[in-house]
Amino acid sequence: MQINFGGREIALKLVYYGPALSGKTTNLRSLHQLTTEQSRGRLMTLETKDDRTLFFDMLPLAFKAEGAVDGRGMTLRLKIFTVPGQVLHASTRRLVLQGADGIAFIADSQISETEHNAASFLDLRQNLAEMSLSLKQMPMVIQFNKRDLPRVRSDEELAALAGRGREPVFKASAVNGGGVLETFFGLLHMTWNKLETEHHLAQMIGIEPAALLPMAARQLGVTADVDAMLASSLGGKLQRTAQVVA
Amino acid sequence: MSNEGPPPPVSVEDLVLDARVRIEDLVDREGLDELCRSFHALFGIPVRIYSTEGALLADATGEQELCAYVNTTPDGRKACAATVGGVKALEPGETGDVTHPCFTGAIYRVIALEYDGRRVGRMIVGPFLGSSASLNEPPKSLLDVDAGIQAERAKTLLAKMPRAKPDTVTRIAKHLGSALDLILFSGHKAHVTNKMHLASVRESYRQLEEKTARLQEAFDRLKELDKLKSSFLATVSHELRTPLTSIIGYSEMLSEGLAGDLKPEQLEFVKTIHDKGEQLLSLIMGLLDLGKLESGTMRMSTRPIRLEPVLSEVISTLTPTARKKSVNLVLDLAGDLSELRGDPERLRQVFINLVENALKFTPANGNVTLRARMIADEGGGGDDEGLTLLAPTRSRIEVRVLDTGIGIPTREKPKVFDAFYQVDSSSTREYGGTGLGLSIVKRLVEAHGGEIRIEDNSPKGTVFVVSLPQAASRLSEAPRVA
Repeated sequence: MQINFGGREIALKLVYYGPALSGKTTNLRSLHQLTTEQSRGRLMTLETKDDRTLFFDMLPLAFKAEGAVDGRGMTLRLKIFTVPGQVLHASTRRLVLQGADGIAFIADSQISETEHNAASFLDLRQNLAEMSLSLKQMPMVIQFNKRDLPRVRSDEELAALAGRGREPVFKASAVNGGGVLETFFGLLHMTWNKLETEHHLAQMIGIEPAALLPMAARQLGVTADVDAMLASSLGGKLQRTAQVVA
Repeated sequence: MSNEGPPPPVSVEDLVLDARVRIEDLVDREGLDELCRSFHALFGIPVRIYSTEGALLADATGEQELCAYVNTTPDGRKACAATVGGVKALEPGETGDVTHPCFTGAIYRVIALEYDGRRVGRMIVGPFLGSSASLNEPPKSLLDVDAGIQAERAKTLLAKMPRAKPDTVTRIAKHLGSALDLILFSGHKAHVTNKMHLASVRESYRQLEEKTARLQEAFDRLKELDKLKSSFLATVSHELRTPLTSIIGYSEMLSEGLAGDLKPEQLEFVKTIHDKGEQLLSLIMGLLDLGKLESGTMRMSTRPIRLEPVLSEVISTLTPTARKKSVNLVLDLAGDLSELRGDPERLRQVFINLVENALKFTPANGNVTLRARMIADEGGGGDDEGLTLLAPTRSRIEVRVLDTGIGIPTREKPKVFDAFYQVDSSSTREYGGTGLGLSIVKRLVEAHGGEIRIEDNSPKGTVFVVSLPQAASRLSEAPRVA
């Protein structure tokens, strides 16, 4: 997070992590389509010829938090990054991960991809460890993408797995836009709550945590109900985190 | 290793998260000029682009005739400079678009340029006549600016001033703005890609440095251990040899009857003690040699010698062994061998060892041949500079020990020169030996500036090829020790 009081700006970095071909870039493309033109910048993709992410993708979103900082308002700039999933781009993944405020782990729902999901998660943990960070301090949501494909882990299995895990789980079919906003708002919610706990943003810049999500949704042009979106998560401790803050 | 240490990890965050984008960093100046000129050519309205700091980045103005005329008068020039200065300093304000009037009746529009939600500069469009003003007559402000301004002339020139509806100008400016935005985005993307590429390379380099440092550390530790092993070997061998000399000496005296006659059975036992003692001693001597070769303390003469007598002696020494095994042992010398510099005793040890080995692994009725030749050294392929001069010094003496024995599997070949290595540990029991011989042989050959390699003998068996430099090519070179 970077706060620039002079420019009345606050910048957050959200990172979409996950194994190769799990749909991280697709999530960003969908998010780009689902938000209004005023609130989003151009989606920057740095990819190779075969459409595989080489360095990262980056989608900038921005909206005004009215009433923040002495009532003069503040621009909230969100930069959403994807990491390159392919194993060989390890050093790039670490670079992109630097300074992340929250992580959405995009897993592939296909049963055949189970091991890749796990390996990518261990890679994430390792990379965080090398930056002296632990997942315990990192706001994270998990998205099980590609729900529209055959031979995926069943809803019941997912619910059971999510019930045992610590992170909230969202189901998605990013290619159709399903679950993309839910994941994004879930992550924004967790990230903001964490930053609130650490930096007392409500006091410092006058943005109440409870007000953030509805405000963000309105300005990004999202009509769906934010609470309903958060409620669509399975397991995890999404709600409890919110209560701790409240 | 340098003392600087690995470079710190690169932060890519600064690259994209909150980096201020500057037009001048991302856009080619000439390209920007071209863009503005084409705008000017299309609409006839002058346009300038300034950075946030107020630096002029592109200019497609071409002075209007009226302006040129006004500038011919002293007060007109002053007023014009004041207006232009005012426009330049004008901030586009919250709305990002302000209009500034000129005393000629024309207007300037100052429009903010934004990228990624931030102001990155401004565009000044004008002077032009807003068509709503429906100016046909020069305004009072123009005529009053200097007494030298003639109304008629001013009217003619005013008519030549470009006219546009403010709406149209806004639309056109917006269009130019979005073209510029695209250019900025492409530039920004290329910029980020470059930085990212560099950062990735640096990050990979940093990881490699770390890995190299760890490997170097491990390597140093191993070298230290190796040195310890060598000195341990030397010490232990020396300590073992002392009591062993007594065992051999006393058993020899016993067998010679110096302490009285022995019964045949006692004599046999004592002889066995003596033989085994000798065997042990040769093993220890081998270990000592190896230790000395490894630590570089072996003394060897480097005087010019001929190899023929050495090889003949090897044959005569081992002929009885060959005969006992019914193996045919042959010395094959063709032509004279050049002199070489070395230690005849050590070279004898080399070939005794190799021939003994060959005999050991060759079954009855097989052949072991010791063949020596002069070989022209091809060096780097024949078209080396000065080969005519160098070639004569490059020929080598090649000694081949050929057997028709069991052969060595290809993948074992690189290992046979390792100390204590035996191709098949079961062969130790069948053929005996300590596994020290070849490692000593290799080091002795190398200490003579030579090389040893293994080839297959056809149809079966092994060839050990020892290649030694002739004396001329070693000149005064000191013996190398591995």
